[in-house]
Amino acid sequence: MRDILWLLKKYNYILVFILLEILAFVLINNHNRYQHSVLVNFNREIAGRLYSRVEGSREYLSLRKNNEVLVLENAELRNRIEELTNLLSDSTVIAAFEADSMALAGTDSTYLFIPARIVHSTYHKQFNYITIDKGRKDGLAADMAVISDEGIVGIILESSAHFSTIIPVINRDFHLSAKVKRNDFTGILQWEGRDHLVADLNEIPYHAEIKVGDTIVTSGYSAIFPEGQFVGTIKEYSLKEGNFYEIKVNLGTDFQRLYYVDVVKNFRQEEQRELESNLN
Amino acid sequence: MLRLVGRNILRFFIVVLLQVLLLDNVMLGGYLNPYFYILFILLMPFETPWWLQLVSGFLLGLSIDLFTNTLGIHTAATVFMAFMRPYVLNFFAPRDGYEPDTYPRIHYYGLRWFAGYAVILTFMHHVVLFYIEVFHFHDFFSTLLRVILSTIITTSTVIVSQYFIFRK
Repeated sequence: MRDILWLLKKYNYILVFILLEILAFVLINNHNRYQHSVLVNFNREIAGRLYSRVEGSREYLSLRKNNEVLVLENAELRNRIEELTNLLSDSTVIAAFEADSMALAGTDSTYLFIPARIVHSTYHKQFNYITIDKGRKDGLAADMAVISDEGIVGIILESSAHFSTIIPVINRDFHLSAKVKRNDFTGILQWEGRDHLVADLNEIPYHAEIKVGDTIVTSGYSAIFPEGQFVGTIKEYSLKEGNFYEIKVNLGTDFQRLYYVDVVKNFRQEEQRELESNLN
Repeated sequence: MLRLVGRNILRFFIVVLLQVLLLDNVMLGGYLNPYFYILFILLMPFETPWWLQLVSGFLLGLSIDLFTNTLGIHTAATVFMAFMRPYVLNFFAPRDGYEPDTYPRIHYYGLRWFAGYAVILTFMHHVVLFYIEVFHFHDFFSTLLRVILSTIITTSTVIVSQYFIFRK
């Protein structure tokens, strides 16, 4: 009897027991097809969950790098789209022209998209500015448009060698020609200085048919933004004195959570400017 | 002492042969059969060294597995049963402990004591055995029912055997 109690205290007892049970389960796993398949499935499930956990945290640690890769890819794809649309329109139009007139046109694409990372920005002031990490050395200059995946961002105000300052939509000095996508009525996009998610679209005439949720895009009149860039959607509208609507626009870009942007370089901007200035 | 070891080794072979040659062919109600061989573990002397209890359990289960082509399943159950035996013995110990020169049998400690001791250990063995056999918990209660019914049958055969073949 004393023997029995004594061995209970022995650690070895449990160790040997566990060892023998492990041995038994190894035998079960190796020699019983059904139990083996269950164990394999169980193992796969556990391992799968563990790996996805590890992968998840690893992904999180490399998010910044991944983002940069995606931004580059995005810009690359935009360039491709631009090239292709140009090719498409050119090939139908230019078919009538001589081949050498194509060479005169210079570059194939009108627009080039250059990815950039925001290094500083404000969104709660009346006159907000954004600083990005690309400058003159990257081919950036004043009056270039800046967009993001979610919508337009702003216009470059000034560029130094490695950085540029953007005047975003949410700056009271910002003005942009924008239109209702559905019926092409054009107005002026401004920001009234309160909510960084909402801007004003003015000078849409009263006879224009609009409704809440309509998409607002850039008009392309200014030679800064390409035509048809997403701005936002109509949040609400009312009739102002005179014959114009007062439209509130939900901006597509959330400036509070903006990290990466694309700068739009318009190769034909100067050409257009020159032509327009000749008129004056 | 030597005689004791010899008797236990002999009993080992008898229960294994009895199990695989005779009782494995007995099917009660379609899927119940008595696992009489665990009698060997129940009857091991009180003084058996702890490691020998575990190893005996392992070898016993392995022997049965080799014959029934279920390698490891009976082994896991018998090792568990052998492991639990000291705890159960301790639980059922008389007030002044087990007497020297006695064995865990009806002859020495009575039917009531032996039945309790046998039912608990047999149940433990069968739980491990049956749940490893089905290897999932979907049919938890139908498996549990089989465990309980088999425990009753196995314990009955074990108790009956105490009055006939393994009296001393």
